[in-house]
Amino acid sequence: MEIEKFLKLLVEELELESPLTVTTNLKELEEWDSMVAMMLIGAVSNEFDMTLSAKDIEEITTVQSLINKIGVEKFS
Amino acid sequence: MREFLKRGKQLWKLLTEIIKIMGAEIKGIEYVLPANKVNNEDLAKKFPEYDFAKFEDKVGIKNRYWVDEGQTALDLAFDACQKLLNKYNKEDIDYLIYCTQSPEYFLPTTACILQDKLGLNKNIGSFDYNLGCSGYVYGVSLAKALIESGQCSNVLLVTSETYSKYIHPEDKSNLAIFGDGATATLISNSDTEKIGSFMFGTDGGGAEKLIIKNGAGKNKFNSCSPQLTYGSDNIYTDNHLYMNGPEIFNFTAENIPNFTDEVLKKNNILKEDPDFYVFHQANSFMLEFLRKRIKVDKEKFYINLEDSGNTVSNTIPIALKRLSGSFTDNSDKKVVIVGFGVGLSWAGGLITINKNI
Repeated sequence: MEIEKFLKLLVEELELESPLTVTTNLKELEEWDSMVAMMLIGAVSNEFDMTLSAKDIEEITTVQSLINKIGVEKFS
Repeated sequence: MREFLKRGKQLWKLLTEIIKIMGAEIKGIEYVLPANKVNNEDLAKKFPEYDFAKFEDKVGIKNRYWVDEGQTALDLAFDACQKLLNKYNKEDIDYLIYCTQSPEYFLPTTACILQDKLGLNKNIGSFDYNLGCSGYVYGVSLAKALIESGQCSNVLLVTSETYSKYIHPEDKSNLAIFGDGATATLISNSDTEKIGSFMFGTDGGGAEKLIIKNGAGKNKFNSCSPQLTYGSDNIYTDNHLYMNGPEIFNFTAENIPNFTDEVLKKNNILKEDPDFYVFHQANSFMLEFLRKRIKVDKEKFYINLEDSGNTVSNTIPIALKRLSGSFTDNSDKKVVIVGFGVGLSWAGGLITINKNI
């Protein structure tokens, strides 16, 4: 998946107010809470057929760190 | 001698025929919710910084009902049973199964007290079992097994929970999700089989994902237990209910779609065969996620937790009762029920209900 497309998908699926870049820290978003975490697990599961664990969620900071968790090879 | 053997064979054939047609059916379901209705506006007043509009949209809950200080799960269970027994003869009940994680005492088993309060016969079996969101499915499976092994004829299956008593007053996430309630189901012997096969799952490795640590055998209730936080600034202590929401969501997303396929296989039916799917009503985002994964049509996949929230083992029977109210004819409807959660524990099976339950 193209990174640009992934960023847009996240904004849409997580219902975020403002656009994201790879350096945005997801945890510092005003919207971030356990509900958004659940929506993120759902979105990643639908797109990449993998389930982020609670440990993954805990460790994620920036969008880039999320991309690293999912696997850089899945992005172009 | 030959005549004797022939007779024996005939008798055996007759017996196996009788056993074959001996089945069980769900005859009636009733539920009660406590009087104290708490809507999202009420919660927003207490937690003004939290976006309850988004919560309502995503999790799908508008109201939950909580018991008052002096009211217990047994009180709710009693009311639900009375409602059901208004329509059936209580003299016929010969087994009482009570699913709760909100028992009246450590001992005796609450089912004994319920037997007495309801004035049920004394020559009946009664016991509690401690299960949460998988509990109702277990109960139906147990009732079927008791009936079809000839141990009894009319099982009163009761679920009742008052999780509101376990939640820390500053834990807005769990306060918003969980509601109290009780249900009573009559399961009786039948000349046709109306309850299908069941499957189960257990993973105690996930015990601490949804837990109340203090107050039972291992850790005493500790009035000095330190305040802890989780997720979006939710406060709790080890005396209170703790749920790791994302972990529970993970477990469900990873296990329940395949498990549902196995339940269908076990019952020799295809995905399109059941009239409805009624899953534990945990939260609507999760249910919608599961529905898409399992690839079931929206019309067949029941989601209704707007008015009552997550009532633990009560959600499936409440949903079945509400669903039956929408039936326009008297025909039997095949319903796949799946419960999952605290334990971790999950169970699924095929049942039949109609408009008159």
